[in-house]
Amino acid sequence: MVDAGTVQAIEFTINGDKTQATVESRQLLVHFIRDTLGMKGTHVGCDTGSCGACSVIVDGKLVKSCMMLAPQADGAEIETIEGLSRGGELTPVQQAFHEEHGLQCGYCTPGVVMAATFLLRRNPEPTEEEIRRSVRGNICRCTGYVNILRSIEAAAQASRAEVEEAA
Amino acid sequence: MLLESVAYARPDTVAEALEALASSDGAAPLAGGQSLVNVLKHRVASVELLVDISRLEELRQIARGSDGGLEIGACVTYDELDRSEEIRSSHPLLAEVASHIEDQQIRDRGTIGGNCCLSDPTNNLPPLLVALDATMVIESASGRREVPAADFFHGYFATAVGEGELLRSITVPPLAADAGAGYSTVAVGGDSKAIARAAAMVRGNGTIQDARVVLACVSPTPMRHGGMEEALRGAEATMEAVQAAAEQIGDDLEPLGDAHGSADYRRAMARVVARRAVCQAMVKGGN
Amino acid sequence: MSTAPTETPVETRSTIGQSVPRVEDRRLLQGQGEFVDDVWMHRTGHAHFVRSPHGHARIVSIDVSRALSLDGVYTVLTGEEAKEMCAVPFFQIAPAPAGNLEEWPLAVDKVRYHGDAVAVVLAETRELARDAAELVDVEYEPLPAVVDTVKAADPDAPILHEVVGSNVAWHGTYDWGDIDFALENADHVVEIDRLHFHRFSSTPLECNGAVVHWDPGTNIVSISSNNQMPMFASMVIGPTIGVASNRLTFSSQDIGGAFGIKIGSYPQIAALALLSKKAGRPAKWTEYRTDHMLSAGHGNERTFLDTKVAVQKDGTILGFKTRAFDDAGAYLHYEPLGAVIWSQVSCGCYRLKHLNVDYTETLTNKCPTIPNRGYSRLQHLWLTERIIDIVAHELGFDPVQLRKLNYVQPEDYPYETPNGCVYDSGDLPRSLDIALELIDVEKWRARQRELGHGSGKRIGIGIGSTLDSGTNNFGQARIVNPDLPFSGNGEACFAKLDLYGEVNVNLGTTPQGQGHETTAAQVVADILNMSPDQVQVTAGFNQQQNTYVAFSGTYASQFAVTGLGAAQGAAEKLRAEIIELAAYALQADADQIELADGMCSVRGDAERAIPFIGIANMIYSNNAVLTPEMRDRLSLNCRHVYTPPFQVPDPEKKTGNLTLTYASQIHACVVEVDEETGEVKILDYAAVDDCGKRIHPQIVEGQVHGATALGIGAALYEAFEYDETGQLQQASFYDYHALTALDAPDIKTGEIESPSPFTPNGAKGMGEGGGAPLHAICSAIQDALGPEDAVVYDSHNPWERVWSLVHSGERGEPRGVKVTSK
Repeated sequence: MVDAGTVQAIEFTINGDKTQATVESRQLLVHFIRDTLGMKGTHVGCDTGSCGACSVIVDGKLVKSCMMLAPQADGAEIETIEGLSRGGELTPVQQAFHEEHGLQCGYCTPGVVMAATFLLRRNPEPTEEEIRRSVRGNICRCTGYVNILRSIEAAAQASRAEVEEAA
Repeated sequence: MLLESVAYARPDTVAEALEALASSDGAAPLAGGQSLVNVLKHRVASVELLVDISRLEELRQIARGSDGGLEIGACVTYDELDRSEEIRSSHPLLAEVASHIEDQQIRDRGTIGGNCCLSDPTNNLPPLLVALDATMVIESASGRREVPAADFFHGYFATAVGEGELLRSITVPPLAADAGAGYSTVAVGGDSKAIARAAAMVRGNGTIQDARVVLACVSPTPMRHGGMEEALRGAEATMEAVQAAAEQIGDDLEPLGDAHGSADYRRAMARVVARRAVCQAMVKGGN
Repeated sequence: MSTAPTETPVETRSTIGQSVPRVEDRRLLQGQGEFVDDVWMHRTGHAHFVRSPHGHARIVSIDVSRALSLDGVYTVLTGEEAKEMCAVPFFQIAPAPAGNLEEWPLAVDKVRYHGDAVAVVLAETRELARDAAELVDVEYEPLPAVVDTVKAADPDAPILHEVVGSNVAWHGTYDWGDIDFALENADHVVEIDRLHFHRFSSTPLECNGAVVHWDPGTNIVSISSNNQMPMFASMVIGPTIGVASNRLTFSSQDIGGAFGIKIGSYPQIAALALLSKKAGRPAKWTEYRTDHMLSAGHGNERTFLDTKVAVQKDGTILGFKTRAFDDAGAYLHYEPLGAVIWSQVSCGCYRLKHLNVDYTETLTNKCPTIPNRGYSRLQHLWLTERIIDIVAHELGFDPVQLRKLNYVQPEDYPYETPNGCVYDSGDLPRSLDIALELIDVEKWRARQRELGHGSGKRIGIGIGSTLDSGTNNFGQARIVNPDLPFSGNGEACFAKLDLYGEVNVNLGTTPQGQGHETTAAQVVADILNMSPDQVQVTAGFNQQQNTYVAFSGTYASQFAVTGLGAAQGAAEKLRAEIIELAAYALQADADQIELADGMCSVRGDAERAIPFIGIANMIYSNNAVLTPEMRDRLSLNCRHVYTPPFQVPDPEKKTGNLTLTYASQIHACVVEVDEETGEVKILDYAAVDDCGKRIHPQIVEGQVHGATALGIGAALYEAFEYDETGQLQQASFYDYHALTALDAPDIKTGEIESPSPFTPNGAKGMGEGGGAPLHAICSAIQDALGPEDAVVYDSHNPWERVWSLVHSGERGEPRGVKVTSK
């Protein structure tokens, strides 16, 4: 049992790195990631868990990090946008967004890329409907979603092509 | 956006959770947090101790009962409801409704128990569970008790779960062979907040033997419309009969108006969604 | 980055018109963008504003003692204190008496809208600042609120600013041609009782923010913010807080969308400067969504009463007259400029000759209005489109033919409007044809006939025709207030070779996703004949590093003209210097020098060459090799300010050339209306844009998608509404339904490129769009209604309103329109 406290010691893995911290129980996970861990790629866009700019992957699930508390990261494996491109090499999803102009101001982009990454891990051949639904929780005010959907479709196709080539 | 100071605890068992909840007046269970965290961000309610139950395996099971019904742990997430073979095979509408709750992120954390215990009139699952005649299993240090879904919801944020208690699971009885369930919503936008909603269960081939018509969004809690149910019982299972039965819904309703819909509109829409939900239930029941 | 000599003949490498990969993407895709909340300074405190819960109230008292007693709280600043620290209130655009209103960085004596800031707290952490804000005890005496735009002008309405004497911020009558004569003699007069354009906002995903440091050592106020018009902010803030403009330094790198809303953060920035001064620490402000909805700024809400349209029997629309009431909100932050800016598109897309607009701008207990995407033009264009649509509906004209008859025709350009604006180029009829083709209108008309009325679902087909006027002549401010010393427009660019010959460019713009680093590089690279990835454009804006003019910023659909015009000019100056230096070094004539990939060579003699590094060397570290005259004159540091060829407009007649370019957007839309619920589903959507020469087609198309989505969102889902006590009903994304991927339709796009004869590169500014989706969706809903039903009278049509419209005929409700025919 983790005993009641307004401060908690936690251990977790972030983008593959195991680490620990002491957190205020009330701190939102997104602020823990941004302010405490100093990782600025996860963004805050609203205060009702509506916009998805804070989306990360926790224990393999896509979540809004503003809707979790820092102590809930204890024992968890967290993936943020920074963990996707190792050594600066863009993943197929990121590359597809670049080619299809799936981003303009870039503020929703980390959350959208995490959502797209989660979708394609679970469902490598999504339908158009499934792609739309996968980013339903990510508000974008710049692109009108058109190129976001195209980017995800292109990423799915590129990954399929890679798999076929490898086979 | 930023929470008041709050204590956090994470018990390893339901027993520990109950103890923690009983330890303080201001204690509340934290399941998926997809509603509670918003409440805390906007400081509309004060909680002194959050008891994190989201990882309790005991509360995350989906089990098939010997009668063909389902026992669903309170901390089963919407995504798990959507992807459960068990649920899809016997209660596909439950999986379908869960799959359209807001978005993937919310579905990955939000729980069936949380959806019920928040008891917001626009929530997706309460009216369906009432229509399906579900039973809510509540646990406390002194044992378990069962409350029919129809009696579980008392008002916004108020349910039959009392101090020192926890919603443990929800039992959904099997649908009879000649029964079907239906659900209809008018929402602000795609998979978004409901303006009007109805859930229905209809039993009988050719003639309606039994019907449960549950309206959401027109009162603080899901409301069974006795008048429409009465008009349906014994009626022919046709669109016209359902249309006529829906006329029973009218000025008996006193919905609240807000930015998304006036009282008049909600009343009119209640009739429409009730009719649509019942028709859908009839079609699913083989009519 | 190759600077090696080339042996093949020099080819031009122009990428203009190509969608080159965006430079901005790499950092943004990897979460390495630098947005304002990512900025941190040593010793920074977090700021949180205390805001009024009332729409209108007197401030009886403010007690900060409980807030100050919280550990970790550095200081609190109240309105009275802020006022004491200021030299003068914020500069006002309006003439007297409205111009006499006093606004300070925080509210003093009264609060005038739900969210009006009365104090600001600085504390060690975000959470503590928030906790402390709750402990600031403010006693209010609520006052009656004024939320009706029209009634606010009544002499007995509660007054927001006593010194103004009424709630009228501005009033004027625009009169061109002779509408009364036209109305008297026209074959038909169509009268529309009331049309209402609603209040909404583009709600950029990133809220406002700033890290403001009033350095106690140097007295320089450094402002890292995401304000999109920093020089305007500077000009307003400086005199108020008593800081010279060369001691205010604005900077920003990445901005998460702005859409005009981020022009309005200057009052908070001023408050933060004073807070920082008082605390002796940098003050960091992160605006959360609720505060943004309450106070960042809303788009113009406009009501049109008693609109009368003169129509000839062949459908020619002679003109119209209307009484317009615009809602400025509680303070004038950029208003009343909107009171003239609409006149850039006075006749919309049409050849109307007679116009009379009686325009009143009122103050109300609502969030101050700020230039939301399409600022003031979209409201007026919506009016003109409603007019054409309602005229077609009432008089039985085909809405396509009626538009084509009245459109400005391709042969009319450049077309002078009744108030002296010049529409530069375009082809509206063909744009409309393309849009209708893209949606296969005949197929939908057939389906519409099939479904008819009463089957449960109806089809409606609508058209929205708009213009996106770009590159303002700021002289139009004088039409609102003849004493304002503003006119023209401009943007600055600095292009240089750096120490080792690298090409560096910086601009006065503050991009928020429009790809300026990429397109400015394309333009400069084109002129220097190199690849755009050999040209470095500074990301973002920095007052100390970048060049600027007062108009600098990114707003109002003008970058392609002003920003790229400045880049072109600077690059041309730089090119001329490079060539002159190369000719000198290679002992050749200037007209023999060719540039390619950073190498200068003599035409036909590749051996005689010098790379940019050698050119830079002569100026930076080896200048004794030059003649004294060259040393004096050449610098390889070239600044250019692009200024459009404007003159000062005529404030008496309210005429003049108010905008340089006019992009057009013709949209066609097919909706399915659920007769029982009023739900509207978009079945097909096409947007045809003509913005002249497209420098980067993918970026242009992205802007079209974005503007279209925002318009659809506003048309069906998004609105800001206040109750009668002045409470905002949609103060978060929970209640304000921003368009999601499930709501957004697929958007088909088409294009025409009618180059502008007035711009350096043939491009026209674009980006805002003219609100075509709002017009098209209203038109489509109108098309789905029957002849007994009311006209679509509001720009916002959520399900209940559509449901009311669909059933208005059977309920015998007033239609809101009257036709008188000779």
